[in-house]
Amino acid sequence: MDALSSLMEGFTHALTPINLLWVLVGCFLGTAVGVLPGLGSSMAVALLLPMTFALDPTGAFIMFAGVYFGGLFGDSTMAILMNTPGQASAIASTFEGHKMARAGRAPQALATAAIGAFIGGFVSCFLVVFIGPLLADLSANFGPAEFLALALFAFVATSSVVADSVLKGLMALLLGIGISVIGIDSVSGTERFTFGVPELFDGVSLVTVTVGMLALGEVFYIASRIRRKAADNTINASGRPFLSGREFKEALPAWLRGTAIGLPFGVVPVGGADVPTFMAYGLERKLDSRRADPQFGKGAIRGLAAPEAAGSATTGIAMGALFALGLPISATAAIMLAAFRQYGLQPGPLLFDRAPELVWALIASFFIAMIVLLIINLPFAPLWAKLLKIPEPYLYGGIAVFCGLGIYATSASTFELFVLLGIAIISFVLKRYGVPLAPLMIGMVLGPLAETNLRDALLASGNDLSVLISSPIAVVLYLILIAALIYTGTGRVLARRRQRARAEALAAR
Amino acid sequence: MSTTTDTSARTRTGHLGEGTWWHGRSGLLVPLILGAFSTYLLIGILTMDVAEDADPPGPQFFPMIIMVLGYVITVLLTIAIIRNPEPVDADTAAPAEAREEKAFSTPVTSAVAASRLSPHEEDEPSADRRALAEARAEDASHRTHSDFTSLAWAIGGFAAFAAILEFAGWIIAAALLFWCVARAMGSRRPLFDLTLALTFSSLVYLAFAVLLGLNLPSGLLGGEF
Repeated sequence: MDALSSLMEGFTHALTPINLLWVLVGCFLGTAVGVLPGLGSSMAVALLLPMTFALDPTGAFIMFAGVYFGGLFGDSTMAILMNTPGQASAIASTFEGHKMARAGRAPQALATAAIGAFIGGFVSCFLVVFIGPLLADLSANFGPAEFLALALFAFVATSSVVADSVLKGLMALLLGIGISVIGIDSVSGTERFTFGVPELFDGVSLVTVTVGMLALGEVFYIASRIRRKAADNTINASGRPFLSGREFKEALPAWLRGTAIGLPFGVVPVGGADVPTFMAYGLERKLDSRRADPQFGKGAIRGLAAPEAAGSATTGIAMGALFALGLPISATAAIMLAAFRQYGLQPGPLLFDRAPELVWALIASFFIAMIVLLIINLPFAPLWAKLLKIPEPYLYGGIAVFCGLGIYATSASTFELFVLLGIAIISFVLKRYGVPLAPLMIGMVLGPLAETNLRDALLASGNDLSVLISSPIAVVLYLILIAALIYTGTGRVLARRRQRARAEALAAR
Repeated sequence: MSTTTDTSARTRTGHLGEGTWWHGRSGLLVPLILGAFSTYLLIGILTMDVAEDADPPGPQFFPMIIMVLGYVITVLLTIAIIRNPEPVDADTAAPAEAREEKAFSTPVTSAVAASRLSPHEEDEPSADRRALAEARAEDASHRTHSDFTSLAWAIGGFAAFAAILEFAGWIIAAALLFWCVARAMGSRRPLFDLTLALTFSSLVYLAFAVLLGLNLPSGLLGGEF
């Protein structure tokens, strides 16, 4: 029960008044940003990243945790009421959730989502308490070859298995890794790709890339589409925000199944919570079609409960994987990893030994954040929807100003602002043509890890490439990777065939 | 369905490259970015000043891999886009997204996208189905046509902000940025926006520079604060 006593100690650190305040602030900000149309939790974390450098690390991460989970709750509120998910992981919730809302059961839909996210998050955080240290012990045996395999796994998984297009995913990934090699080489001290510009000696700051890609780029993208909007279909949610006993009983198995689907995805670096949410949705739909009276299509409570729980469970476990392995599975986790680095902390096997207070206080604050979020979301979700009344011009004007504020405050240089502008323009182009940005963030964060480990491994073995596949752990990782690629490849051919058949059927109609 | 798409096609204002080969192939910008970046890496690798005693996998080794892969992906992307131009008009029955996904898809995402395209479309009443089709046609005609005026206001606003920040000070520069972005987003009340922008930037200045002690330039208004 070592883990439990550490957790209790974590609670004593997390329950100080000032840290409680940060959890609250984080939860409020996260929910607010999540509720606003088009803004997801990754943008919230990106915008806040520069601001939190004024705090001590524990306070900053506790606030991040609140923002991260708050964004998840807020995203689903949006998805249900307006049918516009802020994040890919909320798409599955729109199907049945919005139908429930249209059928006059909006408050119950919001409650179902909030409770589902709570259950998934709570169970996964509880597992992190026990799995985190185990994973850290396991990864303590990792050498350069294993870390390289892990990084490659994350690269290929995020860019190929999940991205809409393999080529576009790889393109984003290469761009991200490429940006990360700019600056002075940490091994040999050589200047790389700076062309004598002193501002580039430290490389392109990850904060700048994050804010440019995820916040300012988004503002530009929205500007290019603002006058081409679909009609507003917001649904007013007032009334009984609680579930009846029957509804609760109906949703409970779906919440649990969703959680079970979401949990394993937290350690698989496939780019976040969207895959498990769709799997949970698909499973519920299949189960539903076998019932005497199918509910799907009419606003089935289970079709909303399962994806919500799955998304939240994945997010919780992903945090554990981030601490223990130093492996970010989504753009938001990549930003958190960057934040750890800014404070001189390296997530990974040693984090539990080097900064146990921080880690356990942070895990404890997950539990607190879950409870706070349930409290502020369950009865007050309709109030959050009022945030939609902020006129868009002023909302995005404010966001643009905060982008500038964050970058200038951390760098105090105009040069950095122009770098930000350039990155935001590239981000706009990439978004416009459907290039996913998550692989870029992950490439940028894990690029240096991959490079140093590759060079260490080769240096130690005297340029013998076989060292990379000489350890069983690395071999297993590569085998899983190859299996995933083969599965993807065959499935892709089948999907194409199906799509062609469907297009022909449509054309013949 | 054809009637609705016809009107949407007609109401669209003309845009760059209408009717030319480039029509629907503006996506070539994406491989262009990657190609340019790979070239940047190539020049960097060639001009890199490496110490004589650097151990074998030197500082050029890893960027070299990235550069080579970068060029390979550039070529593949270019071919993919030339062979499958982006659907420009919604004049065919197949949803635009389905056609795009034919070129770029993986099993997981095509399953995802298929469910996104038609969450039980078959269960919908016919009126809803028509509305869905219309919305999709509308969406398809929007896809290709960015609003460059709005975009110019937003990007120009930020460039101006970065350029004048240290000279004019935070309050003026940030208000200008706020005003430009609000305008880009379609606000049509310039004077009201201006007061709002100045209030907002002053509040931010008070909160972050005066209270939290962040280093924001006071610029022209320096004497007053």
